[in-house]
Amino acid sequence: MLIRIMYYGLLAIAFSFLAGQLGLFSLMVPVAFAISAYTMAILETKNILFFPYSALLGIIFALALSAFLGVLVNRSKGTYFLMLTLVLGQLVWALALQWVSLTKGSTGISGVNIPYPFNMAKNGSNILFYYFILVVFLICIILLYALINSSFGMKLRGIRESESRMIMLGYNVSLIKWAAFMISSFVSSIGGIFFVYFSGVMNPDSISLNASVQAMIASIFGGISSILGAILGTGIIKTLEIVLSGITQRYLLIIGVMFLIVIILVPKGIMDIAERVLKFGTRLFKKNSG
Amino acid sequence: MLILTFINGLTIAALLFIMAIGLNLSFGLLRVVNLTHGSFYLLGGYIGLSVFKATGSWVFGMAAAGIAVSIIAFIEEFALLRRARGKPTLETLITLSIAIIISDLLIVIWGGNPKVMKIPDLLKGYITMFGANVPIYNIFIFCFACFICLVSWLILQKTKIGMIIRAGVDNFEITSTLGINIQLVFTLVFMTAGFMAGIAGVIGGSYLMVAPGEDWRILTYTLLIIIIGGMGSFGGTIVGSIIIGMIFSFGSIYVPQFSLFLMFAPVAITLVIKPKGLFGRIT
Repeated sequence: MLIRIMYYGLLAIAFSFLAGQLGLFSLMVPVAFAISAYTMAILETKNILFFPYSALLGIIFALALSAFLGVLVNRSKGTYFLMLTLVLGQLVWALALQWVSLTKGSTGISGVNIPYPFNMAKNGSNILFYYFILVVFLICIILLYALINSSFGMKLRGIRESESRMIMLGYNVSLIKWAAFMISSFVSSIGGIFFVYFSGVMNPDSISLNASVQAMIASIFGGISSILGAILGTGIIKTLEIVLSGITQRYLLIIGVMFLIVIILVPKGIMDIAERVLKFGTRLFKKNSG
Repeated sequence: MLILTFINGLTIAALLFIMAIGLNLSFGLLRVVNLTHGSFYLLGGYIGLSVFKATGSWVFGMAAAGIAVSIIAFIEEFALLRRARGKPTLETLITLSIAIIISDLLIVIWGGNPKVMKIPDLLKGYITMFGANVPIYNIFIFCFACFICLVSWLILQKTKIGMIIRAGVDNFEITSTLGINIQLVFTLVFMTAGFMAGIAGVIGGSYLMVAPGEDWRILTYTLLIIIIGGMGSFGGTIVGSIIIGMIFSFGSIYVPQFSLFLMFAPVAITLVIKPKGLFGRIT
């Protein structure tokens, strides 16, 4: 369960990085996820390359495509960006679905095993690999956190507030935006690799509009400006998914309604509620002790 | 075969045009990309199907679909979008969430199996044109779209309300200061777009199919048209529809593996040379 939160969480984190810092809602974060995942899955199942080279190649392909797409979407903002990324995400999904000779379409590619150095645990469980993923995950978070709090993060937020002002101040806004896009894709591609190794299969469902929207919903639920929020949000959504699937097939409906309520009433997400509760609590505490 | 593929492309273009013009107008005026538009289409399809089955009249089904969807559009605009006026990201997210809700709701009500809507008897059959058997229904769709195109063009160019809409698309702040009830115009345009989507749903339902997932598929094509043709541009919508329709048709026949992906090409080209679309006028 925790692993699912990790790799889906990476998607949400990738989304919230772009959305929280830059104000750009990208519905195509699963694209990098897909490219790295599929590349790896194909390489491994055809016995061409293995870990770590397959993973590396997966990430490189994903980054290459994201570099190209990043240039394309760079000129758009706001609603247009959301629309554009929705369409691009769908196009990649359709490609995965239709290019059957390469990706086996909706049947998907299966049979990817956990890489060699890690499946030597004593009782055959995946514990070693789990820890490895956990470490990589934490490193990613720390790196992102550092980025957000650095001057780069500040520049991103500046662009979010007023792009024209930033241009006037002499910043190379296009380059900065593109860099942020690449970072987001990098995070997402790592998620893709985890996903394939851990679940052993790869099919277009993981990059359908469903997946993009879930990343977005998870990130907004949790609070778009924080990484912790994105993780929390993913946790909630995945838990809901499991719980609700037991009751009804149509859990997407319920999540849709919850999403609607959240964006209207609590647009800053759960982290915001948590912060407000904390602030209120500390104020109370100060009053009592002062 | 070539002729038929071409005709097919025109037909798809015609169908998508009806969708795209509604979406483009409501975007031009309200600055909201109504992502619910695809769900409107499918909703119209299902409602039309049920009404058709109940009453045996395809036309009645179409009318019912149009009216029902426009009512839903009204509710969406009135209850929700008004709260978010001025915050485009929020508005788009709201339309997206409603699309998800409607999409799932449709499965709840009508089940997940694809359904086929029969073409009304009047429109069945073929005629021979240019040496190929062209289904009459395709011609109908094309003529209907041309009719809609003509009517909307006339309304936009020759009537007072059309003038208001065009003014609003160009600069709605100044238009609203002229003492015109721009809110009412917004709502009307949004409802009309919904109405057209509902009708398109019935027409398309008979041509393609009525099934879960069609909403997102049609939405994607429509968005592609608007991206290529340009937001807020009438002529652009026509050009975009034809491009997408042709790629879809030729792609499905000759390179089915890449048919959707092929549509990426004009989008990429457009984004590089003219990011606002070929004829785009809105920032």
